[in-house]
Amino acid sequence: MRIIGGQFVLQFFIRKIVQGILLLLITSAAAFFLLSSAGSDAFTSLRENPQVSAAAIEKLRASYGLDRPVIERYGSWLASAARADLGDSFYYQVPVAQLVLARFWSTAILAFAAIGIACLIALTLSFLNVRSRSRPLSAFTDGIVLVFSSAPRIVISLFALAILVSGAVTSVFWLSAISLTVPLAALLLAQFNQSLQDAMLEDFVRTARAKGLSETTIILRHAFRAAINPALTLFGLSLGALLGGSVIVETVIGRPGIGSLTVTAVRNRDIPLLMGVMIVVSVAVWAGNTLAEVLQFVNDKRLKAQDGE
Amino acid sequence: MSDSGGKNRIPIAAKAGILLLAGFVLIAIFADFLAPYDHTSQSRSLPNAPISTVSFADDSGSFSLVPRVFEPKMTDALLQSYTHDPSRSAKVELFAKGYSYRLLGVIPLDRHLFGTDSDEIGLHLLGTDALGRDRLSRLLIAIRFSLIVCTIGAAFASIVGIALGLVGGYAGKIIDTVISGVADAVISLPSMIVILAARVAFPLELPPLTAALLLVGLFTVTGWAEMTRLTRGLVKRTRTLDYITAARISGVSGSRILVRHILPNIARPLLTQATLILPAFLLAEATLSFLGVGLQEPEPSLGNMLAAANDLTQLREHAFVLLSPAIVIALFVLAVRLINTGFTSNEDRKNF
Repeated sequence: MRIIGGQFVLQFFIRKIVQGILLLLITSAAAFFLLSSAGSDAFTSLRENPQVSAAAIEKLRASYGLDRPVIERYGSWLASAARADLGDSFYYQVPVAQLVLARFWSTAILAFAAIGIACLIALTLSFLNVRSRSRPLSAFTDGIVLVFSSAPRIVISLFALAILVSGAVTSVFWLSAISLTVPLAALLLAQFNQSLQDAMLEDFVRTARAKGLSETTIILRHAFRAAINPALTLFGLSLGALLGGSVIVETVIGRPGIGSLTVTAVRNRDIPLLMGVMIVVSVAVWAGNTLAEVLQFVNDKRLKAQDGE
Repeated sequence: MSDSGGKNRIPIAAKAGILLLAGFVLIAIFADFLAPYDHTSQSRSLPNAPISTVSFADDSGSFSLVPRVFEPKMTDALLQSYTHDPSRSAKVELFAKGYSYRLLGVIPLDRHLFGTDSDEIGLHLLGTDALGRDRLSRLLIAIRFSLIVCTIGAAFASIVGIALGLVGGYAGKIIDTVISGVADAVISLPSMIVILAARVAFPLELPPLTAALLLVGLFTVTGWAEMTRLTRGLVKRTRTLDYITAARISGVSGSRILVRHILPNIARPLLTQATLILPAFLLAEATLSFLGVGLQEPEPSLGNMLAAANDLTQLREHAFVLLSPAIVIALFVLAVRLINTGFTSNEDRKNF
């Protein structure tokens, strides 16, 4: 299916790739200089140990290259990062790239499950609302949005832990996914419910009704398609929010992933590992935004005309 | 609440939110007076004591208006299980004498809203923690700390964000591109991971005041961008209006136009955004303290009190009291949301 012109696609991807490279350079440089200039590293705590002499610590730092100037270190970090080598983790003593990717996968699967649950709730409730137009259901939806959006992940995941401890539910994965999804589900529900209601007032819905299509078909085939675009923008942003949310959910419930890895890196001042986390998260966020934009293009041809200016 | 329906539903929601928030502010101001015990004083003989047993019967067994509280007695030191000693009790009294403090930071006082007439038998409405400290007192002080840090953080983030947004929206293309580019990057990155990464640049263990200042700093650095994006958009929309053109033609300087003519006209949505930052910062503070890199023991914060709930055996035994800080967090977020939805809907309906 040919939707948009070839040259246009090329321009779009070049712009996106330049944006991505800039984002990576900015985040990595900011993180590297901030973390290196602070004057403390993985060996700072060793200084308090009377058994270890200052000379020994310096030797150790030199063996990891920590005695060189910051600019030089960033340069060599960047050079090896370009070859997908992010160095070794101080704490785990394994290659950072491998560790971070493995943990990222684990969280990504969780995030997809969370997005799935959020979609299921948002689409079902919005559909029922528009189809039935019942006041109690609409009030119920507002209530769900209010309660879900006020239930922070730290609270939900602790309650999930309490449930896990009580033995009522034993699936760590699904409890984590539900803890992760709760505020997102509220956002998505509020957004989609509103845009679906707006879409039902559009002319094309009236046309479809005049053609004699059933109300269910109109909602599912026509209104959904128009209403989904704002929700797609939300998806792009939600990936970042979900990765951030995984910090607390994974730490509380004790599931290995990118969030709990960040916490371990922070507690042990594992700077190469933190850099790796920042890089993977930046790439993921960039990819999420790009994907959301592509999906929007595919879904809505009008955007093409807008972006041409 | 959600079932009541009808036209008045939203304003009632906003009222409930304001009432809740006012409660939080009162707790923050009078935390010392409301807290029956010193939040750092420990009684090692009573670790993880349950909620005090209170009875409205006097010694002879008949009803009395003055409640009595019984002394908890440990039955198993290993499992830390308790019963109470019916022979040893103290009277609950209002305005009881307790530790001395300064009300509002000035008036020296040693009276507290409630307490008991005995030094040995305490009234612990939320039990005690692992070091035998009164959990309710700690919770009240924690609310005060969190509220102060979040409010100052939100104020700073808003000021920085609005300033950058005004400059970006009004200045030339290059400055605008740089500011909005950085703002977009900051918004898209998960703030919790950025805050944690930035936190590592500082020593992990910090004294309370330094920790509070650092938290405010971190919130400002990560929280300005949303505000900048909003301000910039509003400025762009406003600057093309006729009255701004009129001001420019009559020779008013750019900075004066921004501060005196544009800012007052876009203040309302900015204020709404500023209130939305509050719960986000409260959660960030709780998360950092929970992870042990925010405010640290012995000072209480909502986050480091919640860390006790991560102990599975304790959580099974005392789920309610351990999760009480979580309930406080949820109520605070709810209060802000109620006010926010109430007022935005009001604006839409032109009832305001």
